[in-house]
Amino acid sequence: MEKELRLMKGNEAVAEAAIRAGVDGYFGYPITPQSEILEYLMEANPAESTGMVVLQAESEVAAINMVYGGAACGKKVMTSSSSPGISLKQEGISYIAGAELPCLIVNVVRGGPGLGTIQPAQSDYFQSVKGGGHGDYHLIVLAPASVQEMADFVDLGFELAFKYRNPVLMLSDGAIGQMMEKVYLGPQKERLKVFADWATTGKPDTRDRNIITSLDLDPNGQEIFNHKLQEKYNVIRENEVRFEEFQTGDAEYLFVAYGTSARVCQKSVQLAREQGIKVGLLRPITLFPFPTKRINELTGQIKGILSVEMSAGQMIEDVLLAVNGKIPVRHFGRLGGIVTTPEEVVENLKTNIIGG
Amino acid sequence: MAKIKGSIVVNVEKCKGCEVCMVSCPTGTIAMAKEVNGKGYYYAYPANPEMCIGCASCAMVCPDGVITVYKTKI
Repeated sequence: MEKELRLMKGNEAVAEAAIRAGVDGYFGYPITPQSEILEYLMEANPAESTGMVVLQAESEVAAINMVYGGAACGKKVMTSSSSPGISLKQEGISYIAGAELPCLIVNVVRGGPGLGTIQPAQSDYFQSVKGGGHGDYHLIVLAPASVQEMADFVDLGFELAFKYRNPVLMLSDGAIGQMMEKVYLGPQKERLKVFADWATTGKPDTRDRNIITSLDLDPNGQEIFNHKLQEKYNVIRENEVRFEEFQTGDAEYLFVAYGTSARVCQKSVQLAREQGIKVGLLRPITLFPFPTKRINELTGQIKGILSVEMSAGQMIEDVLLAVNGKIPVRHFGRLGGIVTTPEEVVENLKTNIIGG
Repeated sequence: MAKIKGSIVVNVEKCKGCEVCMVSCPTGTIAMAKEVNGKGYYYAYPANPEMCIGCASCAMVCPDGVITVYKTKI
């Protein structure tokens, strides 16, 4: 079947992509700027077409635990929220990671801390990539930079989640979630009919009963399990790094930026090159695993890196680790819901990297 | 030639406060409200309705189809 072209908001694209990906259940709770995901699904009422359950839970905590339950049954389940709501979900996310279950969580980030603002920000990087909940766990973090990617990463998210039995987080922001763009939507997929061998679907005579838990009272057993998790994360680091490069071939300076900031930096690259500054852009698509190796390789040709993010400087820590002291790295970004302009980025490159 | 008088109606609850309409308006008819809508956005509203010439620039640039434009010949 041909792909269908539509003009949609990022949030609506996630919702429509979820129906088409054959998702079994969506459990959410409204919060600006991601409410359109829940609103679109409620209006589309996929229960009548694909049989997908869409439910507004009584809270974010309830929603993530419904995801936990659905995922334990081997179903394709997802939730979405924005920053304060994702904070509420952290306990459940840690449990899901500890129980090794697949699911998709969408975070349409707004300015923080606390209730903050409802405008776009990227200040949830640490929460998404370094943990957020308790314990030694990682989420696979996908950072879309367009409405198209918000749609595409639903399918990719579930593919990775089921491949590694690990929760996947789509780290979007209030700009991409609210932005209208054209988007190609894939054909309708069927919902899962055969479930994984670990799923709690009722015990047949042919196997022992499956138990889903994140609890082990024996610390020796828990240590072995933790090592197994770490091995899994290393396999993910080895195989699932995704990034995009823009005019890095002859670049002497480099922007590292994801999501909305990467789109801003793409314009900054053009503006800087008009002024004779050879700058390129590396856009991490996966934030965990981070494109550490590639950034380290680029230090051979690059004189300095400007890490651009709408935060006080979070991703810069991973850039610094990748660079390992070889070249100067500085941060630039606006805070609290203000989107950086391309001109500001170029000015900052001149004063902080080239001049400094 | 008949003069055209315009008037706009903003679907307040669908507005996300991106301000694109305000910038596109050639006569300064549109401003952002000091109150927020149900989602928390400062929505667009016709602050100077008498200035509207019904050009529909705002409706054309609005990404969410929030603005309806009415025109009358006077």
